[in-house]
Amino acid sequence: MEHENETGHAGVHMPLPTVWPVVLALGLTLIIAGMVTHVAVAVLGLMLSLVSAVGWFRNVLPHEAHEIVEAPIEPLELVSVRTSIDRIPVEPMHRKVIPVETFRFSTGLMGGIAGGIAMIAPATLFSLIKYHSLWYAMNLLAAGGFVSWAGESNQFLAQFHLQGFLAALAIHAVTSILVGSLYGAMLPMFPRWPILTAGFLAPLLWTGLLASVLNVVSPILNERIDWFWFVGSQITFGLVAGFVVNLQAKVRTPQFQALPFALRAGFHANLRHDDEEKDGQA
Amino acid sequence: MATSTRVTGHLDNPTASGSHRGALAVLQDWLTTVDHKKIGLMYIGYALVFLLIAGFQALLMRVQLLVPNNNFVSPEVFNRLFTMHGTTMVFFVGMPILFGFGNYLVPLMIGARDMAFPRLNAFSFWISAFGGFLLYFSYFAGSGLYGAGTAPDVGWFAYAPLTSRVFSPGHSTDYWTLSIFLSGIGSIGTALNIVATTLCMRCPGMKLNRMPLLVWLYLVVACLVFVTISPLTAAQIMLCLDRYLGAHFFDTQAGGSAVLWMHFFWIFGHPEVYILVMPAFAFANEIIPVFSRKAIFGYPAMVAASVCIGFISLSVWAHHMFTVGMGPGPNAFFTFATMVIAVPTGIKIFNWLATLWGGNIHFTTPMIFSIGFLFQFLIAGLTGVMLAVSPFDWQLGNSYFVVAHFHYVLVGGILFMIFAAFYYWYPKMTGRMLSERLGKWHFWLFVIGFHLTFDFMHVPGLLGMPRRIYTYEADRGWAIWNLIVSSGAVFQAAATLLFAYNLVHSYFKGEIAGPDPWDAWTLEWSTSSPPPSYNFAVTPTVDSRRPLWDRKHPEETDAQYE
Repeated sequence: MEHENETGHAGVHMPLPTVWPVVLALGLTLIIAGMVTHVAVAVLGLMLSLVSAVGWFRNVLPHEAHEIVEAPIEPLELVSVRTSIDRIPVEPMHRKVIPVETFRFSTGLMGGIAGGIAMIAPATLFSLIKYHSLWYAMNLLAAGGFVSWAGESNQFLAQFHLQGFLAALAIHAVTSILVGSLYGAMLPMFPRWPILTAGFLAPLLWTGLLASVLNVVSPILNERIDWFWFVGSQITFGLVAGFVVNLQAKVRTPQFQALPFALRAGFHANLRHDDEEKDGQA
Repeated sequence: MATSTRVTGHLDNPTASGSHRGALAVLQDWLTTVDHKKIGLMYIGYALVFLLIAGFQALLMRVQLLVPNNNFVSPEVFNRLFTMHGTTMVFFVGMPILFGFGNYLVPLMIGARDMAFPRLNAFSFWISAFGGFLLYFSYFAGSGLYGAGTAPDVGWFAYAPLTSRVFSPGHSTDYWTLSIFLSGIGSIGTALNIVATTLCMRCPGMKLNRMPLLVWLYLVVACLVFVTISPLTAAQIMLCLDRYLGAHFFDTQAGGSAVLWMHFFWIFGHPEVYILVMPAFAFANEIIPVFSRKAIFGYPAMVAASVCIGFISLSVWAHHMFTVGMGPGPNAFFTFATMVIAVPTGIKIFNWLATLWGGNIHFTTPMIFSIGFLFQFLIAGLTGVMLAVSPFDWQLGNSYFVVAHFHYVLVGGILFMIFAAFYYWYPKMTGRMLSERLGKWHFWLFVIGFHLTFDFMHVPGLLGMPRRIYTYEADRGWAIWNLIVSSGAVFQAAATLLFAYNLVHSYFKGEIAGPDPWDAWTLEWSTSSPPPSYNFAVTPTVDSRRPLWDRKHPEETDAQYE
């Protein structure tokens, strides 16, 4: 695109202006307009289109028509109004509790799948004890997707229904995987008491959130849910998912790379301690 | 103290400028140009002319609705007015003006010399322009050359069976169909150019994750154009077949389906809102950081949100059809999808607020229009979520509440950002600044007019006033609200005329802008104003998302942190 011209300025190849695009556009418009005006208008449009198509082809084949535009290079003065840099005063450790290690995304998925499978046990136990059926909990979960099931009896929900099975499978699988992913992302943020936070507190918070919106999400589930068993199955999920997630190896985050070499090499264990010492010396 | 940096730039070849050329030479220059900047300016100029026409049509409608039982225009003329107003604003104002800015800015921002296909670019503009002319030719020849002319009167969405020959004799509906068909060809051509230019012509160092957000958004818009114009064009052809060859696609009595037309139209129609609003987002992404003196907050999240909006916008179309009776399944799905799209949109709003937060905000005219946009678009989004709830929509569908909602989006959101874009990039396009004083007058008059019109327009909607009615009885309780709404239109018209005056006056008398009047950071400001035909004598190289910042502040470049 660029070459030196006789005057020493850079010359730039640019496409040559051409009339054919506007003529072709006019021709096509007239062809179309011929439908609502007169056939002669369409014929004129057709002629213009043919002529412009030939002209356009000749413009680009065998070589694209171009012109060389002289491009004198001169310095431009750009002025910045920026006068100073304001640094916000912050504590040395302000908001620096960022995990240096975390789990892979796949770890969360595995935790979610394991938790989801484990959760089936208390849910099935609940169905067997309360309704003497393997399928009640499954159908109750699926009922959120079927408006027509809103008025069905407990007896109906205790029976096996293929569409209920498929719907419950989809809802349970998607939810388990999403919550598992959340666990994978959250667990590194709870370095202390992971069993308590991930296994008990998180399921309780999740249950609380669900309790507040369940009437909107699935009125039939809200009507018939047994919260004791529900909380039990959630805690089962939390413990199993947390356990599986914690079993997996962690990967280092970019924050780890930003640490001093001594820390990365394992010579020092506490960054805060180093900073405090430095502050004390100053 | 301000810092001054000399960068390698270039000035246009002065011998090429034609200050003494005759009118014919100038006309030939513009008719034959394949320069993306001139084509962009033609798009913008053409759209501004249609903006004035369609704005005048809106004024006529508001005069008609000013008082009950008014006979300022006949019912037939009123039907033509709202049809032409809607069609013009969407197809011949909104799309061209946004394509115009895209044409002008995308190559400059990515360090390219032109669009990938310059001749196709010119063709796309001209065929879109001729589409607009054909639509307005219907006023003279709507019933064919042998009859009296009439403009289309079937609404901008032209529902079946109103468009059938039985209910719409003559050619007025055909003019509507064919003009949009032509404009669609142009839209596809421009979208093709934007995608090819963005993907293949970025300057060295400009990876996708360093591309200006404006270019990202135009890329998403171009992809949406591909997906959505196709069903619209297919539907137009099917309608032509129905009207000319006796096909029965939309003829319910002959086994066709009127609802099919609605699906075809709205699968274009709703993403079209995002085709129009995403360039407005794009302008905000460039203007808000510059006048907050901060880099945009959350660049990756903004890109992800834009792409998400593009995808989700393709699955919300039938919220326009809740009153059709689609059944609980589809209603639930489209309610859900419509609400979900608020999530990436919300991310954008929060990121703009985070960009403003703690910034050294300069309240220039482009910035105050952008701030107006933020507030108004938020409200438009909230009424959108309300209408997404299908039972709510059953109550207020086809009422003035809906009209108020989408004008909040189109005027309060999009038009405000278009004005902001004019004030921001006019210096680059012409080399002269727009008057800030007139700009502030323009802003405040328009804000007052906008809120008088569209805030109060929600009320008659809630009181049950249907849209598209020609007049109303005095005992409905709508009169006072319509009076206020119409009075706001006067303020808006005055503001728009002031803006037009500012455009013309500043072109001749405006302050000289220089290459970078806003101390901005993207590549278009690194060349002269207006840029030469080749944009950059030396192809730029970039190392960060703010290349001009890096050049101005070599001691603290963004490249060190990205």
